[in-house]
Amino acid sequence: MTRTLRLAVVAAVTAGTLVSGAGTRFFGDDPLGREPESRDASRAKPTDIGLLYEISYNLFVTQSRQPSNTRARNVNTIDEVPDSSWFTNRILPRTISAADLVRGPNVGAPPNPDRWVITREKSAGASPGFTATDAGGETWFLSCDTPGWNEGASASTVVATKIFWALGYNQVETFITRIDRSRLVIGDKATVKRPNGKRTPMSADDVSATLERCARSADGSYRVTAGRLLPGKVLGPFRYDGTRPDDPNDTVEHQHRRELRALRVFGAWTNLSDLKAGNTLDTLVEIGGKSVVRHYLQDVGSTFGIAPPQGPRDWDDGFEYFYEGDPLLKRLASFGFALSPWQTGHYTVYPSVGRFEADNFEPRAWKPHTPTLAYLEMQPDDAFWAARRVAAFDDATLRALAHTGQFSDPKAEAHFADVLIQRRDKIARTYLPAVNPIVEARLSAAGELNFENAATWANAAPAPSGYHARWFQFDNATGETRPIGDTRAAGLAMTAPGALPSSAGNMVQIDITAEGNAPAAWQKPVHLFFRRSADGWTLVGLDRER
Amino acid sequence: MLAAAVALASTAAAQDETPVPDGRAAAIEQAQAQKAAHLHEFEPNKVEKFLDQVEQTLLSGGIHFHPFFDSALAGGGFTLGAGYGRHVSSYNIIDIRGSFTFKGYKRIETAFLAPRLFERRGSLLLVGGWREATQVGFYGLGNENTSKNDRANYSFKQPYASGTLDLWPTRKLLLLRGILDVAKWDVGAGKGDEPSVDQVYTPQTLPGLGATPTYVHSQGTLALDSRPGPGYARRGGYYGISFSDYHDQDGLYGFRRTDYEATQHVPLLRDAWVLSFHGEAQLANAANNQTIPYFMLPSLGGGSSLRGFSSWRFRDRNSLLLQAEWRVLANRFLDMAVLYDAGRVASRRSDLTTAPLKSDYGLGFRFHGPLTTPLRIEFVKSNEGLALVFSSKAAF
Repeated sequence: MTRTLRLAVVAAVTAGTLVSGAGTRFFGDDPLGREPESRDASRAKPTDIGLLYEISYNLFVTQSRQPSNTRARNVNTIDEVPDSSWFTNRILPRTISAADLVRGPNVGAPPNPDRWVITREKSAGASPGFTATDAGGETWFLSCDTPGWNEGASASTVVATKIFWALGYNQVETFITRIDRSRLVIGDKATVKRPNGKRTPMSADDVSATLERCARSADGSYRVTAGRLLPGKVLGPFRYDGTRPDDPNDTVEHQHRRELRALRVFGAWTNLSDLKAGNTLDTLVEIGGKSVVRHYLQDVGSTFGIAPPQGPRDWDDGFEYFYEGDPLLKRLASFGFALSPWQTGHYTVYPSVGRFEADNFEPRAWKPHTPTLAYLEMQPDDAFWAARRVAAFDDATLRALAHTGQFSDPKAEAHFADVLIQRRDKIARTYLPAVNPIVEARLSAAGELNFENAATWANAAPAPSGYHARWFQFDNATGETRPIGDTRAAGLAMTAPGALPSSAGNMVQIDITAEGNAPAAWQKPVHLFFRRSADGWTLVGLDRER
Repeated sequence: MLAAAVALASTAAAQDETPVPDGRAAAIEQAQAQKAAHLHEFEPNKVEKFLDQVEQTLLSGGIHFHPFFDSALAGGGFTLGAGYGRHVSSYNIIDIRGSFTFKGYKRIETAFLAPRLFERRGSLLLVGGWREATQVGFYGLGNENTSKNDRANYSFKQPYASGTLDLWPTRKLLLLRGILDVAKWDVGAGKGDEPSVDQVYTPQTLPGLGATPTYVHSQGTLALDSRPGPGYARRGGYYGISFSDYHDQDGLYGFRRTDYEATQHVPLLRDAWVLSFHGEAQLANAANNQTIPYFMLPSLGGGSSLRGFSSWRFRDRNSLLLQAEWRVLANRFLDMAVLYDAGRVASRRSDLTTAPLKSDYGLGFRFHGPLTTPLRIEFVKSNEGLALVFSSKAAF
């Protein structure tokens, strides 16, 4: 296969654009539920990305790039993201029980804090902490809270881990636990990297130096998060652009992966401002007799109102990149009198929550510290896809998730949940009405079409006065259509205008638009494609006209 | 776009007779099989390699050569310099460094820094070196009776050795500092366009003219320091008092000096603005029957005090400096500041507060990190003209 064809296949393979030898638009296995990982990736080697390079590149190169307006390339024919080594559909397509949500990624037992043996300093993240084994001999990465901001970092990390797990990302098993100094010992082989670049044995003073940067509880212990050591071989971070050249299964450029683009929405919701490759991790794991690269959002601790190790996040966090020309010039020219939203908004600050607010939050204006290419490439349909997932967290679910942060102050917990709920609603109102929000279309054997409007379902927009559907027979071999008729309905159901073909393999196309006072985007049709089988009609295609 | 992609795929397939897959998963697997034949390790580009190397060097303690912008004495003009630092243990550093200016100022010194003593409650800095300043300005004593046109120059060469011990008994806030240094002042005729001091003054009209004292200087400082760091701060303050004894080995030019210093940063509007205030008073007293030589008198003027005036512009037994800045955060790495300085020197302490102050105002830009200010550029206007300040240190 030529490089040209390979690129075309990669571009089209899950977007429903590839035709078979017979020229059919939809394959028999559409819509794809899982992105296959067919090849052994055991040759993948550890790589890294330097902080200096990544920040510089994102601020001074990526920031100036224009989005390619390319549709996400890993979506299936019904505009959804198949499960993969990157992503697992969880919250939206199925109902997750409250117990599952609260459990999140944690499938194993929590650490046993009766004894901690430090094996080395903490190597990832800015929070002070250790790498240590618990009383059961299992390795954990321990991170503590910032003095004066007790419970903040640990609560943020645990809640964010569960939210991002529910959203579909691979997450590290993370628990809140405690360190008692009297039960903390330095392992025989524990070392610390010194400023001279050499490793020397860890001393008691090294432990003290770390613990002095940790919030101490009234009983003298230290509340920490414990992240379980990931299985497999660590390969280092993944990048938000390009592909891993040593992973045969990584064929879609990362900036065109919808779940990575969608971090612009999920990041805005949770204030995941430290959105960089350095906070991700690839591991090589054995699945089905072959090695596969699994991709993790490893460090989601800099979320909500806390930015460890400094405590509360900086005032402009989430509002501006680290460097932006326009606001800089504006402030210089006005001597700072040209105020930015982050300078005037009101914050209700709890030490365990930090600076987390919803009043000044504008989803489209939210910015991480530095822009990734995937962040820039997000399209309205990506944002819609993401916003549906955000909207799927109901109030009770979010309050249950907030409770997992183990806030000792009920008011802080309530405030935290309230802000999450308000930010969720703003995201829904921003992104759900921005495209034609028809979802979950079903066509019965009798010709009854039912669908949902994601925007009105989430109370993000008023219902339109009605819907208009144009029905066609669809020839999967040629792509030709033959009109069947039009139908209109005030609600979310309508009946076919005439007899639909009943033999297996036949297909119909239904184009749905909203009528009346609906937003302009809703006048652009959603194209639905149903295939007939012995059991009835199955949705195999969904295109939102751009 | 869809049609184009389909056509592209079909055409390419037809050209190399690759079988078109019969399913979506099969198509993906085919692409993966194709990629599997061309796997290679990730290869960073040149820029990434370079920046990674810089980062590794900075983090691993592998940085040895560094720029050094401290001239022999303030007022030497644009300074070029370099140093070579090396860890001699996990934390301790020896640094050999030198600088020169186009006015012929030279400094060469070796420093030993132990930043982590007494379980991180103290640090020790030992410095030994030699410096030469060729044309240090002297404008006469006092405020009112001097003019910038009165400038005369002197020079000096000086071997010196000093030790500074900082102690933070409570790890933060309370600072105790002790300094002991020995320096020989070999003062001579000045160079440059202005006359030399010995052409303008006599030993009778200028105390200490012709003196070459050797001082043993001891100093004790008690301070409360709540700033995140002295190199850059947007909040916190410093309040300190220092007592110095300059003991002349010959018993002719000994004196004592008391320094009072206060700095406070007041953030406004979420740190977007910071009102910063700084005050410093230096009060010197000659030891019994001894004289304070003119080159050791408290002074004002230059890029870190009265910035609109030349370095060493005002000298007398006592000095008072008051500074205020309105700092505007442009972004995380750049601040702009409107600044105002006022101060005076006086032979009598009471005159510090009762007589008029010299003042200046200006505009500054500071490129900074969280705790350091590598570059400070200021344009400062006084009644003696416009001064341009370049510095690699914070103003205060």
